[in-house]
Amino acid sequence: MAAELTSTRLNAENHLLLDQPLLRLPHELARRNFKSVQRLVEREKEHVLPSLKEAANISLPNDQTPEQALAALDVMISRMQGLKRKMENLHQEEKRIQEQSRKRILHLEKLHQIPSLADVKYDQWSRVRLDRLIVDHMLRSGFTESAQQLAQENGIEDLVDLNVFVQCQRIAESLRCGETKDALQWCGENKAALKKSQYNLEFELRLQQYIEMVRTRNKEKYADAMVHAKRYLAPYIETQSIDIHRAAGLLAFPPDTKAEPYKSMYALERWAYLSALFISTHHELLSLSSRPLLHIALSAGLSALKTPSCHSAYTSSSSNSLSTTTSVCPICSTELNELARNMPYAHHTKSYVENDPIVLPNGRIYGQRRLLEMSKKVGCVEAGKVKDPTTGEVFEEGEMKKVYIM
Amino acid sequence: MELVQKEHDRLSKKIKAAQGLKSVQSTIDLLQSARDAIAADPSQASITLAKLQNPVKSSFDSINDSLKETHSGLNKYSKSLDKLFKDRPLPSTEHDVLSSQEHLINRAIAMHLLREGQFTVAATFLSEMAEKKAMKKQQEGTSSATENAASLLDIDEVPSGEVRKQFATMYFILHEMKESNNLLPAIEWSRENKEALEARGSNLEFELCRLQFVWLFHGGHNQQGPTAGGRQAALEYARHEFHSFLPRYLREVQQLLGAMAFCPNLQDSPYKNIFNNPSAWSDVAHAFTREFCSLLGLSADSPLYVAATAGAIALPTLLKLQTIMKAKRTEWTTENELPVEIPLPPSYLFHSIFVCPVSKEQSTDDNPPMMMPCGHVIAEESLKRLCKGSRFKCPYCPSESHPREARKVFL
Repeated sequence: MAAELTSTRLNAENHLLLDQPLLRLPHELARRNFKSVQRLVEREKEHVLPSLKEAANISLPNDQTPEQALAALDVMISRMQGLKRKMENLHQEEKRIQEQSRKRILHLEKLHQIPSLADVKYDQWSRVRLDRLIVDHMLRSGFTESAQQLAQENGIEDLVDLNVFVQCQRIAESLRCGETKDALQWCGENKAALKKSQYNLEFELRLQQYIEMVRTRNKEKYADAMVHAKRYLAPYIETQSIDIHRAAGLLAFPPDTKAEPYKSMYALERWAYLSALFISTHHELLSLSSRPLLHIALSAGLSALKTPSCHSAYTSSSSNSLSTTTSVCPICSTELNELARNMPYAHHTKSYVENDPIVLPNGRIYGQRRLLEMSKKVGCVEAGKVKDPTTGEVFEEGEMKKVYIM
Repeated sequence: MELVQKEHDRLSKKIKAAQGLKSVQSTIDLLQSARDAIAADPSQASITLAKLQNPVKSSFDSINDSLKETHSGLNKYSKSLDKLFKDRPLPSTEHDVLSSQEHLINRAIAMHLLREGQFTVAATFLSEMAEKKAMKKQQEGTSSATENAASLLDIDEVPSGEVRKQFATMYFILHEMKESNNLLPAIEWSRENKEALEARGSNLEFELCRLQFVWLFHGGHNQQGPTAGGRQAALEYARHEFHSFLPRYLREVQQLLGAMAFCPNLQDSPYKNIFNNPSAWSDVAHAFTREFCSLLGLSADSPLYVAATAGAIALPTLLKLQTIMKAKRTEWTTENELPVEIPLPPSYLFHSIFVCPVSKEQSTDDNPPMMMPCGHVIAEESLKRLCKGSRFKCPYCPSESHPREARKVFL
């Protein structure tokens, strides 16, 4: 019994495994937001202070007309006002992010107040989590509309990141359609963070632009391509030398070449590859997991629940849809059955059977009390007889035989 | 977790109190007043401009100071997050069987939405899925993958109109039951499915009718407690409906009618449990949901919910296993069984489990549990190993038997 008691204990800290992105993502956004404020301030500072000095220097010989100084001051004022406007926007954004984080922390904090997995509150909490996981899955698969609706109906908009994924999907889609502009703009916005990335998205994008120029087989474009390569590809020479050499070699091959690696460089599948690469990079930067959280939860859960009986050729006596006293196992239920087919089943070291098991002449094992109660309920069985709820066969009560399972 | 909360509070306060914007405004004010001064008196231009240098510089410094403040807040918050999630990376993706079965997951989600009663979301989801598929088909249009796509379509179509209609019915009945205490649709449904329910040994129909009786007894739509009119209506109802229950539920019907005699002081009668059961309605609703889903071959709780929750419970254990395996450089050899036991709450155990007491292996279709004449059960493989084809002694009691006498049992 001891083992069963401990298994309902809830260790909240451990339980938060799936919820890291919930806090990490807004934090990454906040940091990014902060960096852009910093950059703005720095840029204005670099501009305003020297120009102020210059204005003072120019106006030193007193014969100058004030117009020049006034004009310089006007420029500075308007720049500062621009800065203020931008900062206000970013500040609003910052506050929004922090408010969102606060709500998320509260949501996670709730879990810490739930003592046991058997608690009703845990059930509610877990349902909200499932909704979050489903929304995450939908967003990642591009079902934006459904995700939005689900979040709205269940009131969990603060716990999911619609905008982030919508933007990500938009850029990934544009790449799939052969358009690098949005992705490159994104790279520009995240230049600093991209340096630490394990993928070299920007290089691949630039390489693709180069390939597209070469693909035209147009002399002028060739010149452009070479300028482009010098400017954007050459800086990567230390890490990407092979790719750069291949890019140079590409000039000698027409797009319908059969020679590798040039054939695959010209291939249109490269766009799909770029799209996937962008998504990986994007998720890495925002510390999102590479596959949907729902998959992680499901693959663990399916295995933990699965038993050899779930895909057995024989109907299980203990869990089937044929009798009221048993509930249908979720793995046996049609929704998940096929999905769980290739998963490993859970490991058990102890048998787990009903109390006082008996065996019927057809080899089926039931708990004695449950079987008798059940037979009474079914009604169409005469006194002193029992009905096998799985097969429907009727036996004498005396035919029940005690069975020992250790 | 407290640390995270504390740091976040601190950070929010810092952000709210941030002086950056104010400093920007004061810089603008400085510049503006200098401009006004120069415009008013052009001869002072150089002095004014010279005087302006330091204040502007210092206000930029104060902007930066406030930024630094925010920065340190952000960093501290990062650290507290790192601490909270330390040693808790998400499990690696080595055994990722699921990604290739996207359509099955989507199907499960669609079913989940339907059974949670979120029909509009489900409808949007299905249409978006169809759209995506159509697009994919278009792209693959010319290639040979067309027939492939068609076969995919068949599996995907399972949460079809039929299932959707079924769940819509279920929600209509539940809604009537909960919102307007109207049991009639439920009773009607249970009559339609009488045979299937009876074969399952379900009392649903009788329970519904009994509740209806009690409800009428309490006065129907205006629940004022037992009145003469209510009693009359209940009696009328009993006369009309209960005779078909008599063979199976004679005792219960007698109880209900016997209670009539006690109506002035039902509270003190032995029948008060039947008539004043606060959870009766939710119990019946629950029983109804279970029966309804069972008849469709589905489990009563959303499997997706149960599986995801079980997954969250199992993850820490699996993660620990992963770290240990990595540290010891061992591999896990039995592909189709998890290497550790995962402690799930008892409500997550659905099937009986048989672990052979001799070999400590779980029984499977290939290695089923066998019962010896003495009533002890061991796995078939263990039995073969023990007996070597001749009579042998049961490992748990003194009785001897021949392997031919052992019988396969089903748990």
